[in-house]
Amino acid sequence: MFKIETLMVLIPGLPLLSAIITAALGKWLLRSRSHWPAVLAVGGACLLSVLLLFQVRREAAALHEAGDAQAAAHAVGYEKTYTVWTWAVVSRALPARATFGQQASETSHSADPPGTTVPEDSSTSADARSLEIGITLRADPLTAVMLVTVTLISLLVVIYSIGYMHDDVGYWRFFTYVSLFVFSMTMLVSASNFALLYVFWEAVGLCSYLLIGFWFTRPAAAAAGMKAFLVNRVGDFGFALGLFLLWTTYGTLNFHDTAAAPGILGQTLLADPSQYAGGWVATAICLLLLLGACGKSAQFPLHVWLPDAMEGPTPVSALIHAATMVTAGVYMVTRCTPLYLVSADAQQVVLLVGMITALLAAAIALTQTDLKRVLAYSTISQLGYMFIGLGVGTLPGIVAGMFHLFTHAFFKALLFLGAGSVMHAMGGVIDMRRFGGLRRRMPVTHWTFLIGALALAAVAPFAGFWSKDAIVAAISQRVQDDHHGASVALYQWVFWGSLFTAGLTAFYTFRAFFLTFYGEEQIPEEAGHHAHESPPVMTWPLIVLAAASVFVGWCFQRGQRFDHFLMQTPSLAFSSAQATLPAGEHGGHGNVAVVSTLVALIGIGLAAYLYLGDRWEVAWIARRLRWLYTISYRRFFIDPIYMALFVWPLRGLAAFSYWLDRQCIDRLVDWVGRVPLAIGASVRALQSGLLPFYAMAMVFGLLVLIGILVR
Amino acid sequence: MDELALLHGYQTVGAMLVGIGIVGFLARRNMIVMFLSLEMMLQGISVTLVSWSRFHNDWGGQVLTVFIITVAACEAAIALALVLMLFRRAGGLDVLFWQQLRESNVEPFIEHELPEPPAEPADRWPHLPPAGIEPQTEEEWHRSHV
Amino acid sequence: MNAMQWTFVVATISGALALWMLLPRKRFRGRRLGSLLGLVSLGLFASQVPLPGGPAERTVFIVLAGVTLAAAVCTVTFRSPVYCAVWFGLTLLGVSGLFLFQGAQFLSVATVTVYAGAIVVMFLFVLMLSDPRGRTYYDRLSWEAMLSASAGAVMIGVLSMTLHRVFVPEAAPPAADANNVAVADASGASANAEATNVPALPEPPTSESLQANILAPEHVARLGGALFSRYLVTVEAAGVLLLVALVGATSIMAHARFEQLRRSRHGNG
Repeated sequence: MFKIETLMVLIPGLPLLSAIITAALGKWLLRSRSHWPAVLAVGGACLLSVLLLFQVRREAAALHEAGDAQAAAHAVGYEKTYTVWTWAVVSRALPARATFGQQASETSHSADPPGTTVPEDSSTSADARSLEIGITLRADPLTAVMLVTVTLISLLVVIYSIGYMHDDVGYWRFFTYVSLFVFSMTMLVSASNFALLYVFWEAVGLCSYLLIGFWFTRPAAAAAGMKAFLVNRVGDFGFALGLFLLWTTYGTLNFHDTAAAPGILGQTLLADPSQYAGGWVATAICLLLLLGACGKSAQFPLHVWLPDAMEGPTPVSALIHAATMVTAGVYMVTRCTPLYLVSADAQQVVLLVGMITALLAAAIALTQTDLKRVLAYSTISQLGYMFIGLGVGTLPGIVAGMFHLFTHAFFKALLFLGAGSVMHAMGGVIDMRRFGGLRRRMPVTHWTFLIGALALAAVAPFAGFWSKDAIVAAISQRVQDDHHGASVALYQWVFWGSLFTAGLTAFYTFRAFFLTFYGEEQIPEEAGHHAHESPPVMTWPLIVLAAASVFVGWCFQRGQRFDHFLMQTPSLAFSSAQATLPAGEHGGHGNVAVVSTLVALIGIGLAAYLYLGDRWEVAWIARRLRWLYTISYRRFFIDPIYMALFVWPLRGLAAFSYWLDRQCIDRLVDWVGRVPLAIGASVRALQSGLLPFYAMAMVFGLLVLIGILVR
Repeated sequence: MDELALLHGYQTVGAMLVGIGIVGFLARRNMIVMFLSLEMMLQGISVTLVSWSRFHNDWGGQVLTVFIITVAACEAAIALALVLMLFRRAGGLDVLFWQQLRESNVEPFIEHELPEPPAEPADRWPHLPPAGIEPQTEEEWHRSHV
Repeated sequence: MNAMQWTFVVATISGALALWMLLPRKRFRGRRLGSLLGLVSLGLFASQVPLPGGPAERTVFIVLAGVTLAAAVCTVTFRSPVYCAVWFGLTLLGVSGLFLFQGAQFLSVATVTVYAGAIVVMFLFVLMLSDPRGRTYYDRLSWEAMLSASAGAVMIGVLSMTLHRVFVPEAAPPAADANNVAVADASGASANAEATNVPALPEPPTSESLQANILAPEHVARLGGALFSRYLVTVEAAGVLLLVALVGATSIMAHARFEQLRRSRHGNG
């Protein structure tokens, strides 16, 4: 067997190797064979990830038993870190820093009455602040789950892309970017300190940018890439500020304990949660991190980039903008659970953001006519669900959020690849009004898409049912537990909101499904001879994903396997052990399951009634509820609002700066340049080209010099 | 011998060599003569160095003079190579020819009244009476050897 | 100004006039008058320099210095560059004689060999390429003859006067005269130096100490010893310099040759 460290290094290493090989050789040597390094590397990484998962599971179980046998405190979770290379070290006890810290602590002591919320350890650790950023990888259940999800979906998408991207000019470029993305994403989920996390957070953003703008000759694609990058900047700015605040507060950025300092999510702090900074510091950290997560996971204020990102190739939409990269925010918030546990306010903000996003995106998805955009908004909505799960603040909620991430990856990738298959067949047309009744021409796509849609609509026993149900159940549990709490109303609203959203989800999903595959057969002329089922290299990944969408929820939810495994993650294990994370009850939410299934079926039924066949009610509703329809169709006018609020003022500022630069600063610079010109012109006459004249000047200089010396 | 007087005399000779060299370098327009003047200045320096060497009873001055000779040799080699190139380009050794390297807006230095070329001096070589056989032209020589 | 200073001024002016007259010009080139003025100037300068040793030595020194300087003046004033080079050769002979008079035997020989034997001959070769007889206009003209001659003469005058102030301090102006003592006195010399802003001279060497070092019979061995012990690095550097100069000269000429070839081909094609 492999050593666990070897696995940890090889999983990101193979895609990196593939990226380098494809980048170096793709254009000249590999050309139409460029997919081979990517397929092999990602396949290898996938295999190794599964191995890692089993190994982590085995060792965690062994640890658990040992813990029970020694009657130690409780299960402490399993983690393993491995430092590949210590990247940057800023040694501790910088004199200026130390005095600054002391002064700061003194002033804080004198200014604040004792017992206020200023954390004690912020001043003490300020003295011993040291920055040590290593390329440190970690293996724990959370990472293992993420790794398996990422590499498995990546493998299927890469295989699918062989068919989808064939004959593209940038074939090698595509596989280079995808390999680079897989490397970055695996590094992101393996990183064991915030700095490394941030680096690869940016790296996946870069890959996303490159792949959105893959067909950069299309202005829409280039603009979408830029939009994604700029909107992400806002989030990443918050994330960076959060990291700075974390460092000033805890004096380290590591997750794990090191010899220099206890890590932020390390055993020392987890064992004694009272050491976590409380008060506004905790809230600020959490909100800043949440801002980063919102940017990457397309949550409400920063969700605008994701629909536009559909300009990229469809496999990219499936891989990056549905299954993996956009879940990075969810992963990060889950990873930081202990921080969020300290600040209830921040947790409720997470809940609220998730709810707003889920509802808003679902409402927008109702009326979109672009198949990929419907799926994009459903992605945003489902990510909102995940945030709801995380915001509930109970262990089942958090685990359910992660579980939804896991299952969603499969069925959303499936739906996107299905949409890609349709798009491939329709010659690039993706507007649902222009095709229809494709079920006979594309049977495999039809059936797999149906399974994906059922999973997304959360119909039992498909994957989405189990995870979404777990989230809704966690909220209802919270409502019951908290019924005396101050914020019970919030939880109640979220509960009903999430049920309503589930209904909307089922409706828009099947609206898209029926419009695409049922009704009168209609094929746009762009399709040409392409209008048939996709090649096997594209349908097989669909079939695999469909199978996974059917079974993955049931398999992992059975006997709470997923929950038990994920709870071995130290941050979750400790929190649940110390009951700071309310345990709640597992299972036993039959009522909720029935209700949510019912809601889903109502949604499906409504969609079937309205869109199977040509109903007059559709047009009637659209006409009667014109304003609602317009709001939904125009995406709540968020893009124009942002345009007016941010883009136009900034453009004005840019124009002003341009004017200032041209008219003032450039003029100034020109004048600075004229001074030497003038000096040069004034002595230019001396450059007579007469060698004796120069010599004469030297002799006179010499004479003057001698005269001064012998004076 | 009066060392001080000796030193004084040598210093004066050295100074005069340098001064005459300066005059030559400034006034003459033939590049080769300019270089001769330069070498003369170096000689003046050598003279002073050697006399200081004696006055201080130290080898340094003489050693330095050895190096001066070395450097002068190097300089002469390179300078003559350059002068040859310049000669080929300009068709003469006039240093003022190269004032074409001046700034474009500077008036050139023009000698308006060139001296009249001297009359071709009478052939002072002795005239030998024709004797022996007339030499063959090159062509004839070739033909006879084909 | 006292008589000594007047002497220097007159000598400088007459030297400048002499050089101006001797330099090649368009018209009026008073060679005789110039030579006369030059001799006067030289005499005036010489009158302020104490002569060393006994009568024989004085004669030798005067002859050597006179030949050297006269040849130098001829070098810069003759129209024909070939004559210039020949006169320069005579200057070199004079200089080597002066070296020999100082006891620097090796340098004396080296100067004759390297300069007169190699460098001047090289110059002559190059001169043969152009007009060697001084018939070109640029050999018959001077650039700013008066100004150049004055610059050189003033340089000589200033330097000579300075030398005089250093070596003959008793002749210094009365204002600085108060503190003057014999130069030989080191402490007095330093006081003198402060007063007149001239550096003090060390004790002149005795003939015994000279015999022990600079004038030792194994002269070349001593010089070689100094060269290859204390100045070894400099010798190496000079060696490298020679090599580089060799390569440089070769490459310049090769380039010129190549240019010429290219041009001719271009012209033909």
